[in-house]
Amino acid sequence: MALVHGKNTVVKVASTDISTYVKTSDFERESDESDLTTYGKSSHVVKGGLLGGKFTFSGNYDSTAVSGPRALLEPLIGTEVAVIRQPEGAGTGKAQDSFSGNLKSYKESNPVADYVSFACEITISGDVTTTAQT
Amino acid sequence: MVNLADVMDQVATQLDTISGLRVMAWPAGSVSPPTAIVGYPDKYDFDAAYGRGADIISLPVVVVCGRATDRTARDAIGAYANGSGASSVKAVVEAGTYTAFDTVRVTGVDFDIYTEAGVSYLAAIFTLDIAG
Repeated sequence: MALVHGKNTVVKVASTDISTYVKTSDFERESDESDLTTYGKSSHVVKGGLLGGKFTFSGNYDSTAVSGPRALLEPLIGTEVAVIRQPEGAGTGKAQDSFSGNLKSYKESNPVADYVSFACEITISGDVTTTAQT
Repeated sequence: MVNLADVMDQVATQLDTISGLRVMAWPAGSVSPPTAIVGYPDKYDFDAAYGRGADIISLPVVVVCGRATDRTARDAIGAYANGSGASSVKAVVEAGTYTAFDTVRVTGVDFDIYTEAGVSYLAAIFTLDIAG
């Protein structure tokens, strides 16, 4: 068993590596759930169904044109984007998740005493491909 | 990512635009007031974003004026500590154009006594929040 630090995490959206702008990210997967409890049972009986989830990430706003968070993400709101996340960083054999999703929201925050930040949410669409990097 | 020497040099270069203020890009020895000294970071945090995307530095700049008991020293340090004006450290530093880092904010100033060769000088210690 080995601990992994988050600082090497890689996040790519629409083929652009935006890792250097991102401070934190969450990858949530879930399934639908059907309650199949019948008479005579003392506890709920459930079965899983369709899979789903979301990918949320946030970080430092950057004024860089073309590849900065605002320039890249805001125009993609409501569109399907390809996402690759490498939770252990880049490297052969390391974990990788690839999926498509709807870029559901993009938010910018401007506190008076801190740096401008952004936050984004992508709803996973279709299957997630989980493979080791080659 | 930032290069510390470049950061200190560029901050010093910008401070040097303040008329009448001598500037040291590092604590280089004895001072002749009024002098601004770019100090070494109080804090230097790596990994403010994934993939070495950003570092954050808290950099002190010490402005030493005349003898602590002189009215002229009080007046002089007031001009450097003001939030605006031609001698305002905050206004001048934040108006600069830099290549060594992305952004700088002068977050505040403290006042203290700086003693050299038995002489007590009035000092203003500015804190610069730098990211790049």
